[in-house]
Amino acid sequence: MKLSEQSKDSFIKPLFKNNPIFVQILGVCSSLAVTTSLRTALTMALAVTFVTAFSNVGVSLIRKVIPSSIRMIVEMTIIATLVILVDQLIKAFSYDLSKQLSVYVGLIITNCIVMGRAEAFAIKNNVGDSLLDGIGNGIGYGMVLIVVAFFRELFGFGKLFGVVVFPTVQNGGWYVPNGIMVTAPAAFFLIGGIIWLVKTYNKDMQDAE
Amino acid sequence: MSNESITKTFTVATLLAIVCAIIVSLSDVSLKGLQRQNQELDKQTNILRAAGLVELNEKVTAAQAAELFKKSVTLVVDLETGELVTDVEPYELASDKTNVRSLSKDDDIAGIGTTPQKQLVYAFYDENDSLQTLALPIVGTGLWSTLYGFLSLNSDLETVRRLVFYEHGETPGLGGEISNPAWASKWEGKVAFDADGAPIIRVIKGTVNPSDDDANSQVDGISGATLTGKGVTNTVAFWLGDNGYGPFLKNLREGKLQLPVPSAQSERPSESGEPAEAAQNAAAN
Amino acid sequence: MKFYALRKTLKVVGEKFFEPGKPLAALYPLYDAADTFFFTPGKRNEGSVHVRDAGDFKRMMIYVVYALIPCMLMGLYNVGLQANRLIAAGGAVPDDWHGAILNWLSAAIPVFNPDSVFGCFVYGFVYWLPVYVVTMVAGLFWEILFAGVYKEEVNEGFFVTGFLFPLICPATIPLWQVALAISFGVVIGKEIFGGTGRNFLNPALVARAFLFFGYAGQISGDKVWTAVDGVSKATPLSYASGGVDALVSAGYSVHDCFFGTIPGAVGETSTVACLIGMAFLLITGIASWRVMASMFVGGMGLAYLLTQCDPSTLAAHPAFTLGPQWHFVMGGFAFGMVFMATDPVTSAATRAGQYIYGLLVGALVIVVRVLNPAYPEGVMLVILFGNCVAPLIDYFVVNANIRRRMKRLQAK
Repeated sequence: MKLSEQSKDSFIKPLFKNNPIFVQILGVCSSLAVTTSLRTALTMALAVTFVTAFSNVGVSLIRKVIPSSIRMIVEMTIIATLVILVDQLIKAFSYDLSKQLSVYVGLIITNCIVMGRAEAFAIKNNVGDSLLDGIGNGIGYGMVLIVVAFFRELFGFGKLFGVVVFPTVQNGGWYVPNGIMVTAPAAFFLIGGIIWLVKTYNKDMQDAE
Repeated sequence: MSNESITKTFTVATLLAIVCAIIVSLSDVSLKGLQRQNQELDKQTNILRAAGLVELNEKVTAAQAAELFKKSVTLVVDLETGELVTDVEPYELASDKTNVRSLSKDDDIAGIGTTPQKQLVYAFYDENDSLQTLALPIVGTGLWSTLYGFLSLNSDLETVRRLVFYEHGETPGLGGEISNPAWASKWEGKVAFDADGAPIIRVIKGTVNPSDDDANSQVDGISGATLTGKGVTNTVAFWLGDNGYGPFLKNLREGKLQLPVPSAQSERPSESGEPAEAAQNAAAN
Repeated sequence: MKFYALRKTLKVVGEKFFEPGKPLAALYPLYDAADTFFFTPGKRNEGSVHVRDAGDFKRMMIYVVYALIPCMLMGLYNVGLQANRLIAAGGAVPDDWHGAILNWLSAAIPVFNPDSVFGCFVYGFVYWLPVYVVTMVAGLFWEILFAGVYKEEVNEGFFVTGFLFPLICPATIPLWQVALAISFGVVIGKEIFGGTGRNFLNPALVARAFLFFGYAGQISGDKVWTAVDGVSKATPLSYASGGVDALVSAGYSVHDCFFGTIPGAVGETSTVACLIGMAFLLITGIASWRVMASMFVGGMGLAYLLTQCDPSTLAAHPAFTLGPQWHFVMGGFAFGMVFMATDPVTSAATRAGQYIYGLLVGALVIVVRVLNPAYPEGVMLVILFGNCVAPLIDYFVVNANIRRRMKRLQAK
């Protein structure tokens, strides 16, 4: 199957050029909370990708029959159903992760990316493109999460995916973990740094002065 | 028919609601069992870690946990009298709203306001059915958050076997180190009580000087977390003191209490306090 | 004429290597910094210029460094004094390269004698100099890098930051932490906002805050404040939660705290040295007396009010018993008031705004000190907070002014 230009665009654009976090500045709240370790960041990335992909599909499937007066509520219902499903699945099959992620899986409902894509894309595009757009946005969001989590887990705990990379002084090693990295401001600094870098090297993303 | 007509709007809304409701209820019903098992196992793992039967960073399967719990008894203790309560099943406590005792401001050194009147205690036995360890649930206030954990005592009821915090919100790297096994291991073997049976074990500032008279009852402080350390000290002092398990431990030491041994017990579906619902239902039927 | 020769060399070097299009053009800021360090630049401003007095930015910044010198001298002496007192009480000379240098020096200079002013000073110098050098090297690296990016000159602003920062650290701070912290302070606190004059936070304080939150385990507690092994001593502020009684029984007095013979960060212990610096800054008109005065009034006023609580409240909160005489001389209050809060770039700019800013900072310092158990020293955090709200304060002051004048206009 050969993808049309538009389909390709709907997948590739959100990865970088229209990245939900560092271009659209959406979903920042959850990226502060779940990026202290790569495991939680990856789980969250997968969960959000799942929800955006299938909420886009769901909305796109019934886009022609949705009455505009209840459009937002319909989108919300679909999203909420998917989020509950993901939450239940994580609780059932990965209890430790669900404890670490605590309320943040449930809060995917309030993640602006999901609602934003349903409202801006899926409501007026076909199912295939909507699926690609949802996956693209989920991955674009997840990439940033993983980059941030990589630095936070490595410098905050000396670990990657829970495996010790730098043995910390508390456990008899040499690495002195950085306390800022384990707190939310570190994610602010890192995401700010990413935005700074991306916009410096990509002149057409800079805001008009 | 136009999309915007009232009939259509209601139809779409109703159908969507039904579909979504079915998905949500199906997932809930089909996954509930697994989720409950997970919760149960999580709780059991914490107790086993506290009792020293499982290493702090080790995981156990449900089968292993059940095996280890065979050598245990879940006791219901009346904190005030220190007696065992035999007319209440352990699993009934969680839903018993009257099981509250409020503390006066002077007594409340752990900063928790209230404690249960009756509290669960987990006793573990070795092969010869002699007491190995007592795991005591504790709760108290640290610097920023409430600390939940277990303190377990050796069979001499004087020395600490483990101190485990399984839930807290202290600063990672500072106060959060209370859940680091490296720090928790510093409690092992420390003497918890003085000659009169009053709790004296405490977290100090800096490292313990081994030549101190009561070096055996001091635990190294976590650098940069003096106040969390104070919270831990107060929490432990409260639960080992007269308002906590003090009366119960006193009764045990003086031989006034006879603990039931696991082999003498009737078969119980779950030893950790919460019953498997299925078994309970089966009994009711 | 040797100056002439230097002038000529610099000019030739500049034309050969650093002018646009030449091989080292990217390093022009470095050349420019060296050139203008020796000679007044011949360039003139183009366009409209507003001259207020003879002092320029360079002069202002160098004056702040001069004003800091009493604090530095007193601080270095005190580092040695504290260490030697503890060595006399059974502490050991640190078993690292500091100790090796000190042992080597002890043949010629009485570095281990608490009664020798010069010896104590040299002891402190051995600790301070590496911190200062690392601060300057790491900080200037970023300054030059960003000066190249922004096509601006390296300016003296960093000399102040670089001089301040070692004075607000404990003497025993690991050098890699110094490099990391000052990099964070310069880049995050200043350069990403556009460099000197555009930063809204004080870079030295940002660097200090980085250490405080990043390496709290090392930077707080008892061990860091004195440069010896085996014996630790806490700063007066760590006893402050126990009130006056706890401080006195720990052996501290207002007198010691005033002269600065107490453990603490290198430059901030001596209130008297801060006051000398303050006099210099006020006479030369560099720093705002409004900020200093209102911060003093805000802090000391609240401290006094707290001592007037009824006895049962005082018994429940012993920290309330510390009157203004303690709060002014403990920790970094005086240092922060003279050198940190008055930073012309990051404090409020309007006159009324400076009063509000000072009162707010002063009062909040006391609030953090006595009410927050986790952060006994509030000065750093509160001044950073003050920096954040300063633009807002200015905004309201300016708007109020505009409204008042509009009314006056309408009344006519």
